[in-house]
Amino acid sequence: MHTRRDFFRTGLTLGAAACVLPEISKVFAAPASSVPGTTEKPLLSAVRDGTRPAMLDRALADFGGIQAFIKPGQTVLVKPNIGWNTPPERGADTDPDLVGHLVALCVGAGAKKVAVFDRTCDKWTDCYARSGIEAAVKAAGGEVYPGNDEDYYREVALPNGRILKSAKVHRLVLESDVFFNVPVLKNHQGSLMTACMKNLMGVVWDRGFYHRADLHQCIADFLTFKKPDLNILDAYHPMFRNGPRGRSVDDVVEKRMLFASRDIVAIDAAGAKVLEYDPAKVRHVALAGQMKLGVMDLSQVDVRRHAMA
Amino acid sequence: MASPTHSSSRSIQRGGRPVRLYRRLRIAAALAVFLSLTAALVDFRELVPVRFGHWLAAIQFVPALVAATAGVMVSAAILGVLVVLTLLFGRVYCSVICPLGVFQDVVSRVARLAGSRKRPLAFAQPHTRLRQTVLWAVVAATLTGWGGLGLALVDPYSNYGRIVSAFFRPLLTWANNAATGLANKIGLLSVYRVDLPLHGLGALVVPSLVLTAVAVLAARKGRLYCNTFCPVGTVLGLLSRKAAFRIAIDKDACTKCGACFRACKAQCIDLRAGAVDFDRCVACFDCVGVCEDHGIGYQFSWIRRPDAATKPRERRQAVASDTGATREPRRTFLGRSFTLVAAGLWAFARGRAAEPTVGPAGPIPPRGATPESDGAAGIRDIDPLRRHAISPPGSIGVRRFLDRCTACHLCVSACPKHVLQPAVFEYGLEGLMKPRMDFTASFCDFDCTKCVDVCPDGALERIPVAQKQAEQLGLAYFDPGKCIVTTKGTDCAACSEHCPTKAVYTVPYGNNLRLPTVDRDMCIGCGACEYACPVQPVKAIEVSGLRTHGLARKDNPRQPKALKPPAEGDFPF
Repeated sequence: MHTRRDFFRTGLTLGAAACVLPEISKVFAAPASSVPGTTEKPLLSAVRDGTRPAMLDRALADFGGIQAFIKPGQTVLVKPNIGWNTPPERGADTDPDLVGHLVALCVGAGAKKVAVFDRTCDKWTDCYARSGIEAAVKAAGGEVYPGNDEDYYREVALPNGRILKSAKVHRLVLESDVFFNVPVLKNHQGSLMTACMKNLMGVVWDRGFYHRADLHQCIADFLTFKKPDLNILDAYHPMFRNGPRGRSVDDVVEKRMLFASRDIVAIDAAGAKVLEYDPAKVRHVALAGQMKLGVMDLSQVDVRRHAMA
Repeated sequence: MASPTHSSSRSIQRGGRPVRLYRRLRIAAALAVFLSLTAALVDFRELVPVRFGHWLAAIQFVPALVAATAGVMVSAAILGVLVVLTLLFGRVYCSVICPLGVFQDVVSRVARLAGSRKRPLAFAQPHTRLRQTVLWAVVAATLTGWGGLGLALVDPYSNYGRIVSAFFRPLLTWANNAATGLANKIGLLSVYRVDLPLHGLGALVVPSLVLTAVAVLAARKGRLYCNTFCPVGTVLGLLSRKAAFRIAIDKDACTKCGACFRACKAQCIDLRAGAVDFDRCVACFDCVGVCEDHGIGYQFSWIRRPDAATKPRERRQAVASDTGATREPRRTFLGRSFTLVAAGLWAFARGRAAEPTVGPAGPIPPRGATPESDGAAGIRDIDPLRRHAISPPGSIGVRRFLDRCTACHLCVSACPKHVLQPAVFEYGLEGLMKPRMDFTASFCDFDCTKCVDVCPDGALERIPVAQKQAEQLGLAYFDPGKCIVTTKGTDCAACSEHCPTKAVYTVPYGNNLRLPTVDRDMCIGCGACEYACPVQPVKAIEVSGLRTHGLARKDNPRQPKALKPPAEGDFPF
């Protein structure tokens, strides 16, 4: 059953290392302009036409590989979208091979602990199992944590939020050294689109408040508290309609794309374009851009395009 | 014919030590069934396979009877095996298969060990009239259309299921949750918190009373409950009177030491008369296991005993006057009972035959709203009590469900979403404790069929998942006047987000907003929309139950099946 995953783990990890090593040397050789975190344009790595694990390796290479994010002994949180009790081909949850590969990279980079969770909509144990994510994470050496247990959530203040002034946030977000946000790109009947920003609703206990207060503003407000260290957007077969749950495999369209960026607004703007939306019409993306939480205008973003086929 | 001297039993072995084998086998088998069934009823972690739980419950007398009358051949066969078993060896069901019976034995044993019962139970006269009254009350209830409630109230298996569901499962879940924090701290992630929805107080009344009565009676009087109240005990008692092998005293071997009647939990050994009232004997073999003289044990009783000088009828009456077992001629009672039972079953089957089965878009009860004009009026016009009487998947209709369900709560335990909760008066009095879909607690998982897979008596028909995904339990009604999109002018669509069929979808509204709307032809009444709706205190979208379940259309009339061909090309930016 796990032949494909095993193949990716063994073969592609080695292959990735082979790809990544020359890239790292390039990074070190290059001038400081390509080092992230400066006032330069934010970097968006856009990869297409590969398998998800291979595209992830290619995207990470733009940032200096996984080692640019993780020091040995650190704890890592990987936050996929595991919201629905649906199989991977439905595209309602992040792909298990992608999540498993990321966890394997983290473990390989010497992470002390790699934790994965989501506050799911369907029953969490069903979602974790049916999405294939639980098995993939465990096979890669990570751990899955419950998202349904209020004891794991801690009240935090968001003084800079416009509407969301406080929220109960999962302990793993507060305690982990490194935070990877790994959603899947989908249409959304309410918020028009769900990608990296909306995926962060899954680390907050009271989602009802978001819906009652002002969904888009709350999604943007959360970024005033925490931004992931890296966002990886699974756009292999995005859901174009009936999102975020979808009705069947007919709702997804194969695009074979994957994006990665530290700038959560830029990567969501790219996602919106894939779904053929104007990013400015996805109100939470527009609001986050206005609040200077990221760059929505992709002309102001350093987009690195890679076609693998 | 055998000579009068040939009076000692051939079936009782001669030897020095008591025959303990029967008792040990009985205890081993009883514990296996009891513990497995209890595990299935407690199972808050979904560890027990649902079909395993189903079969443990399907071999119980009342579920088998209900399913057999509905034409389930396997259940008819099970019922036949139970009857034959009783006709051969007496009430083995009561000591081995019935969980309420075994539960009483456990209580009784604990009480004895704890020293709360000092004196052994003495032989007692049977409460024949009370037993027959309860049985006839159930028959009368069935005849008058109250059989669903009647069977639910008296079935020992269902009573045990409800005791576990009302008390044991919540207690163990609470203990699990209390231990979760510590377990997770030491890195044990396999222990996790489980939602603990408590049953409504009204649904706890009967389980509380039954638990109290059964526990007190068991602690003080052994199997008195089974021999006074339980109609299954009464019916099987009637059969066991005619059993081929009956526990009897061998007067030649018996030394009248009294060990047997002191061990008897059914108070049915009359040592003075040297007789066993096998009607009330639950075939526990405790007496056999203590008799050092081999003076009590199974005797083959279908051939006339050579020592019986009198005619059968006279002998029977002599035994009857000894034990007081029958105060009226048994044949009269049996004749009357079986006539009534047959009439009841006929009425039961006839009532069900009249019920309409599931058809394309079944009849929708009159409401104020039409599918075109969804509005507040639509919800207000529905009887607020009945609106929440939503019967589970596979039940096909409320009437059929209430007739068949004995409220054993096995599905309540199996439901991974905890959406199945016992009703109080949502269905009316006759639906007391029967599971309903409670969308304040949760919603029904689209791909899950555990309730229909576990149901032992066919109250929930075992439909395939594709049929379950089209069965309309109820229909969603949306009130735009309450919706956040109109009242606050912001996006929400939590309802549409959760809708598995996209019967609830959104349409463009105002300035770049999306307003929910419902296509009730596609709605299956799973309650995901109602549960997800964040509006307080009254939700903007609510599901109203259908008395007869409908059939939803599976295709989406507003969308082409295929979206678009896979796109080749570069990034759109």
